[in-house]
Amino acid sequence: MKENELKTMRSSFKIMEERRIDLIHDPRIIKLQERVKNIRKKSVKKIPAMVETARKSFKINGMEFLYAEDSHQALDLIYNLIKNEKMVAKSKSNTLNELGLSDYLNEKNIQLVETDLGDRIIQLKPDDNKPSHPIGPALHLKVDKIAEIISESLDVKVKADPRVIMELVKGNVLEELKSCKIGITGANSVAAEDGSLIMVHNEGNISLLSLMDTHIVVVGVDKLVDTIEDAISVVKLETAYATGTALSSYINVISGPSKTADIEKKLLEGMYGARKVVVILLDNGRQEALEECLWCIGCGSCIVSCPVYNVVGNEFGYRGYLGGRGVAMSRFLQDEKTSFNSGLYMCTLCGLCTLECPVGTPTSEIMEKIRKESKNTGFSPKEHYKIHKSIERKGSPF
Amino acid sequence: MIYFRGCVARLKVKEIGDATETVLNAAGVNFEYLDEEECCGSVLLRTGYGEDAQKLMEKNIEKFKNQTILVSCGGCYRSLKMDYKEMIGAELDVIHTSQLFNELIVQGKIKLKNSREKIAYHDPCHLGRHLGEFEAPRNIIRKVGELVEMEHHHEKSRCCGSGGGVKSAYPELSGKIAREKIKEIEKTGPDLITTTCPFCKLNLSDHGLEVWDMSEFVVMFLEEDK
Ligand code: SF4
Repeated sequence: MKENELKTMRSSFKIMEERRIDLIHDPRIIKLQERVKNIRKKSVKKIPAMVETARKSFKINGMEFLYAEDSHQALDLIYNLIKNEKMVAKSKSNTLNELGLSDYLNEKNIQLVETDLGDRIIQLKPDDNKPSHPIGPALHLKVDKIAEIISESLDVKVKADPRVIMELVKGNVLEELKSCKIGITGANSVAAEDGSLIMVHNEGNISLLSLMDTHIVVVGVDKLVDTIEDAISVVKLETAYATGTALSSYINVISGPSKTADIEKKLLEGMYGARKVVVILLDNGRQEALEECLWCIGCGSCIVSCPVYNVVGNEFGYRGYLGGRGVAMSRFLQDEKTSFNSGLYMCTLCGLCTLECPVGTPTSEIMEKIRKESKNTGFSPKEHYKIHKSIERKGSPF
Repeated sequence: MIYFRGCVARLKVKEIGDATETVLNAAGVNFEYLDEEECCGSVLLRTGYGEDAQKLMEKNIEKFKNQTILVSCGGCYRSLKMDYKEMIGAELDVIHTSQLFNELIVQGKIKLKNSREKIAYHDPCHLGRHLGEFEAPRNIIRKVGELVEMEHHHEKSRCCGSGGGVKSAYPELSGKIAREKIKEIEKTGPDLITTTCPFCKLNLSDHGLEVWDMSEFVVMFLEEDK
């Protein structure tokens, strides 16, 4: 990230921190936090069983259930569903980011419409298309820079005014959505027993996508919880920590395709919403991950205070998984080399993120564990090797 | 009592070792140095060399022989107090210089001069957030002058950028973090800046900040005849 982008990011972070301070200290949120900690800790211990429960519940609810061991399988499954399309639409999703969906579809000559305003801006940016925050992907860009990006990519002259930009992008996206029959989204939480997908958004874009002919939902096994009640608790807490508002404008709970039986009780699918809902549950290394790595609810609170992230930005992280926890996750989603290159040794282990994390993710401890393994396979800075040798020889690093 | 200086104060920022010795002598505290002081193991633990750290720890506890261990460094404090227990089950009696100095003041064994100065304090991650010691250094500062707090302090204090092996592997990154921290410190408009970890002092001063370890601070304001 460029120096001016980092500066804008830091001042956006500061505004976010100030905005949410009262809310996250509200007794109700503190109570919710305890509840969610328990839900997350309990859930990650029984992923295999929950996958089986989810498989059954989704089928009962009339949704197609697919399981992907890794990202290649997931991309194949998606391709199979969309191969006859010229254009598909998506919402903001770290899981889709993890799959590298956008590059993949590019190769396959299928156009992808980003419907989230921040994501759309990042997509249209000519270089560095990585987000800077999981909920506010473009918060490192100033309005005049955004106006420039939009003007150049859409070949119009747009004023550096947030509303004008929003209206323009909205018009452009809506126009493109007319040619889309398939919407692809992630989900913020999944209720295994109920067979329901919970999605949080403010813009209303996920609702639009869920009304297309086919709605494909790609979600990691780490998002599984038992019930809708648990899932709602998780997303409420995520929203509070991520945005500083108690609730998002929309929480969609999707438990089946659109249907009606109003004529002679005969079941018809695809009334206003999707005729077909496909759930792709993705493992991609998650079940091999350290359990504490999977408590995360994706709020981004950790990066806002991280001393490393504040000075280098998304260079410290893996794809949309930003900051230390993202680096740790990349060890399991990819491999040791990837986590090394994402910043495994850039972390000062200061521990502030654990304090800021609503579920207490012990990132510095996780980092130390991964470093131990990583060193044994040769992914360790040579300076640390020298220091270790020096300690062995003369009892001190110097 | 053993005064375990730690590698940074022993070899890089020797003023801290000297200042500590001055304070201990002024207070009439008996202490000794280890014949052969080696690294506590912290550096190895943080960079993935756990097995080597363990060997070093086992060697070190032989030398400690159930004595109280006085440390200058936040990193040593954390490893001796926490990691030795977790890794080799050794519950050591460890005290940080700031805690000892504070006790000596309370007991009247040393006295500090008053001044009107505004004094900022940087909480080292290991001493503060990891092990909860926030007040001892602050109490000492309040004896001298006005304590000024930064935007982020106590458990929310921002790292100086040196820890976790970052200063050696990514010196540039370490510098960037230090400069952000320095900006935050300078916003408080302090006359003096203090901390309680030699490694924090080293990194912050490498990037242009004049910062005193609590031992040097105490020496600076030590009332000669108590
Ligand atoms: S690790 Fe914690 S703070 Fe960071 S995104 Fe996940 S839940 Fe939020």
